[in-house]
Amino acid sequence: MIRFVDATKVYSNGVVGLRNATVKIEKGEFVFIIGPSGSGKSTFLKLIMHEEVPTDGEVYVNGYSVHDMPRSEVPYLRRSLGVVFQDFRLLPNKTAYDNVAFAMQIVEATSREIRRQVPLALGLVGLSKKAKAYPNQLSGGEQQRVVLARALVNNPAVLIADEPTGNLDPKTSWEIMNLLEEINQRGTTVIVATHEKSIVDAMKKRVITLDRGDIKSDEQKGIYFNED
Amino acid sequence: MKIRTLKLLVKEGANNVVKNKLMSFASTMTVVVTLFFLGIILLIAVNITSNIEAMKRELRLTVFLKIDVSPFHREEFVNFIEEKKEAGIITDYVIISKEQMYEDMKQILEDEVFLKGLTVDNMAESFEIKLANPDDSDELIKQISEFRGVNSENGIGYGKDELNKLEAILKVFNYIVMAVLAVLMVISVFLISNTIRLTVFARRRQIEIMKYIGALDSFIRWPFIIEGLLIGFIGAVLSFIFTSLAYSWIQNVMNVILTNLNLATLSILEFSPVALQIFVIYSIFGVIIGGIGSFLSVRKHLNV
Ligand SMILES: Nc1ncnc2c1ncn2[C@@H]1O[C@H](COP(=O)(O)OP(=O)(O)OP(=O)(O)O)[C@@H](O)[C@H]1O
Ligand SMILES: [Mg+2]
Repeated sequence: MIRFVDATKVYSNGVVGLRNATVKIEKGEFVFIIGPSGSGKSTFLKLIMHEEVPTDGEVYVNGYSVHDMPRSEVPYLRRSLGVVFQDFRLLPNKTAYDNVAFAMQIVEATSREIRRQVPLALGLVGLSKKAKAYPNQLSGGEQQRVVLARALVNNPAVLIADEPTGNLDPKTSWEIMNLLEEINQRGTTVIVATHEKSIVDAMKKRVITLDRGDIKSDEQKGIYFNED
Repeated sequence: MKIRTLKLLVKEGANNVVKNKLMSFASTMTVVVTLFFLGIILLIAVNITSNIEAMKRELRLTVFLKIDVSPFHREEFVNFIEEKKEAGIITDYVIISKEQMYEDMKQILEDEVFLKGLTVDNMAESFEIKLANPDDSDELIKQISEFRGVNSENGIGYGKDELNKLEAILKVFNYIVMAVLAVLMVISVFLISNTIRLTVFARRRQIEIMKYIGALDSFIRWPFIIEGLLIGFIGAVLSFIFTSLAYSWIQNVMNVILTNLNLATLSILEFSPVALQIFVIYSIFGVIIGGIGSFLSVRKHLNV
């Protein structure tokens, strides 16, 4: 599914985002990426979705060779991924429903498919009642649910979330994490970068720990290391 | 691209025009002004050309016979003219007799004093000859001047040289017009691409999000280009309306001026016969300006 082979990312200013990472994530896994600020979590995820390209080594995602890929193919790679960010990133001038539908319009789905899939996705994240609301009429947790629905609606093989609960209170964070687990149980590979110690410890998933660009540990049913 | 996607993108583009009212207004006005200048300059050029053409058609070669021409020499010349008419070089001619000329002179010189010395007998008979092709005039004038009955010293007149000068001036005018138009076009493409650049900038978050969820470059680009095309077309329609209003005003003013200056032979063209052409030209130019403007800025600032 996802394979990093000795992948290194050195930014143009010389900072190493990720160093010689070799890691494999199988279909259907749930993986936490943890580590202190600046350790390379976002870099790791950016390499997966071709927002950054490795300066050395290889990255394979859903059959695409991301390290060596023509620009024209990037949209297709992205369609095989669902992405969720800390700051939500919804289109402010579209309703919750239209934000989700937009992701389907981009892949040229028929309006029949859209009318069928969008309510299902909104239902899955428990937001059917707020379909007509605009992002600024929704709470942070609700906005993140819309983002999840948008990420899911095209049935991506992999869901990537970069600190999805970073702007949410503990209770809402748990709700979002539970949703991610539910999504994972339906067969989607889920990769979450996070600082949420208690959640990581409680969920007993695979945990990849980064430290200054290095993979420090990679454990099944791992826990959050103390940062000191 | 599927039809439903095209529809969606056109809708997005149209929405953008409506939502960014200020930007759209600014860009549209740029197009309106550019096309307005284009149209007015074009109409001036068309008017000058058509008047010169009309003058050319009305141009007549005037040939005076000698006052004391013998019937034989007169006959000789008339035969020549008839021949040329058969041959199609001369379309038509009229003879102005001595008597007629005397009457005309009487009309012009109302004052009896001047008429005292004038009698029918010191009038010369003349021919007003219309040529099929004004370019034949030099050759014909040469031949005519050889007739013994013709007053070749100062009795042959043709206004072609003046017209040629006018035409030369018109040519220069046309080049200047084209240069001015090219500059105008470049300026308006630049202005449009700037306004579209601002709308691209205003929507960079949206573009980023679209890229994250796997939108193709074309999907991101088209609404902007459609926005440019629409602005160009709307500008063309508005400019057309302004032009037709301005032109009919100019037409009225010019007609009054020409009448007062006794230049009624010059005429200002009506707008309606050229309205369709003007509209088509405006639409094409408007759409080109808008399309190129937005294409440039999207390519440069969207990096997609
Ligand atoms: N575009 C960039 N240009 C230069 N350096 C960068 C860039 N992006 C990240 N870095 C650097 O790379 C390192 C890893 O950054 P990254 O964003 O991957 O960390 P992170 O683990 O996601 O941190 P956080 O928990 O704060 O989000 C940091 O030192 C960061 O300053
Ligand atoms: Mg980060």
